[in-house]
Amino acid sequence: MKTILITGATSGIGLASARLLAKDGYRIIGIGRDAAKCETAKQSILSDAPSADIAYFTADQLQQREVNRVSAEIADFLDAECGGELFALVSNAGCVRSWYTTTEEGYEQQFALNHLSGFLLAYHMLPYLLRAKGRVLITGSESHKHMKIRWDDVMFQRGYHPLLAYKQSKLCNLLFAKALNDRYGWQGLHAYAVDPGLVKTEIGCKSTGGIVKFVWEHRKRHGVSPDVPAETYAYLCAAEPAPEELYYHLCKKQTYSAEVNWENAARLFHLSERLCGVRYDERMQKQ
Amino acid sequence: MNVLITGACGGLGRALAMECGKRNWRLFLTDINENGLHSIQRGLERSFGACVAAKTCDLTDEHSVDELLAAVDAQGICFDMLLNVAGLDCEGAFLTRKSSDLVRIVSLNNEATLRITHAILKRRKADKAFSLVFISSLASMYPMPLKATYAASKRFLLDLALALRLELKGQNVRVLAVCPGGMPTTPEALRGIEAQGFWGSATTNPLETVARRTIDGVLRGKSVYIPGGLNRALAFVGGLLPRRWVAAAIYNRWSRAQKHWLKNDAPADTFAA
Repeated sequence: MKTILITGATSGIGLASARLLAKDGYRIIGIGRDAAKCETAKQSILSDAPSADIAYFTADQLQQREVNRVSAEIADFLDAECGGELFALVSNAGCVRSWYTTTEEGYEQQFALNHLSGFLLAYHMLPYLLRAKGRVLITGSESHKHMKIRWDDVMFQRGYHPLLAYKQSKLCNLLFAKALNDRYGWQGLHAYAVDPGLVKTEIGCKSTGGIVKFVWEHRKRHGVSPDVPAETYAYLCAAEPAPEELYYHLCKKQTYSAEVNWENAARLFHLSERLCGVRYDERMQKQ
Repeated sequence: MNVLITGACGGLGRALAMECGKRNWRLFLTDINENGLHSIQRGLERSFGACVAAKTCDLTDEHSVDELLAAVDAQGICFDMLLNVAGLDCEGAFLTRKSSDLVRIVSLNNEATLRITHAILKRRKADKAFSLVFISSLASMYPMPLKATYAASKRFLLDLALALRLELKGQNVRVLAVCPGGMPTTPEALRGIEAQGFWGSATTNPLETVARRTIDGVLRGKSVYIPGGLNRALAFVGGLLPRRWVAAAIYNRWSRAQKHWLKNDAPADTFAA
């Protein structure tokens, strides 16, 4: 049985994908912030797929020490229950913030959660993914277009704008997927960014307020159900041989920004390593 | 530039620390929260390669402060800037709060701030410029029913800053009082801003701007910094009206906002402000 790890798996796109992938016969490991919501999500999936194999782990992925802790717990679980292999990582947890807010490390929260937390989790999961010649699916967005990384101020300490900070974090998602392909593609790893489209989720209403909440409340009414993007995640997990493109929407490859190039991907990768205090190369040596 | 920041793990403390880090200053951070202190220290080192020292301290405990100062002296650090950020808020009507919680507001916001400020000023190099910042609050501008102790404690800091500024002018010490409105520092603070609806959002100050202008302001010798045009206007109008009237108007607004807040969500008892 192949194992899939999904972050942000208690609601929205993460939950819908977990449900669909569980039905497709994968073992699901979910990460959520709230223990009660994890339990509710698990029961809800089991009611649809009674024979599903599901485990939830609780962590606030905004904080790096929480990502490190939960990664160690999941690694033990993978070793004990899953033959030391992880077939896919769905890095989906994300947030929107109306204001500049920081994590414990002083990192801007959208950048920290939407990009760095997934980067750090993938670092911990790398040996398990490589052993399975696995896949990494990152929830990106069409909003990554018409945006450049602010290399001199990635945390938006100057002129914070919620939408620009979000767009940059989504551009980071594509750059990270590209960097993973560039670095580990030859070892059989495939990384993708998924554009879920406009989806009816609560992402714009959690801890936001003001204009962001107002606009999102209005926009999400036009969104599709999270079950729609879930199909794309299921497709990218199931397709054999593994699809070769970087960016997908509705199970089809899409064009992406010219900013998503080798140079930017490598630069972001090194910056992220520094901000997380890890080295991917050393991760493989530790194994 | 050597900077000491108290309350460095709170929302504003972190934003100020990142602002100083961005300017490549050397930082000494203190907070009561040990985990948080390590995290922000790591964050600064990784982001800017900053030179950061950190030590936990309960500023309300004299013994703990002595240990902090001993560590400062042992490393022979002379500070050029002190950012007094550590502070407590405690929402709610006076009699619904434990007296120990209320006294703690004054212990930290005032007593502890006096103690550390005095000690650090005594240790400064006499011939060098020194910058001293007190994080007061927009609440310092008026008497605030339902935040009575907090507002009074912040008024103390505002008056202290204005008075010290004149006392120390000849000694090359610049003193700034910062009087922000609500800031999006914690999930509780965000809920508080939301509960106040339009006025909550309108008087909310972006952290990164407050942090940058605080540092710029004190370096330029500014005396009082009230972030946000609307907040400045409110403070100005509040200053023209009799204080009794202002208090009555605030009571009106807060009691409505708090009812709404209590209905939707139990407020957290305390959060750094």
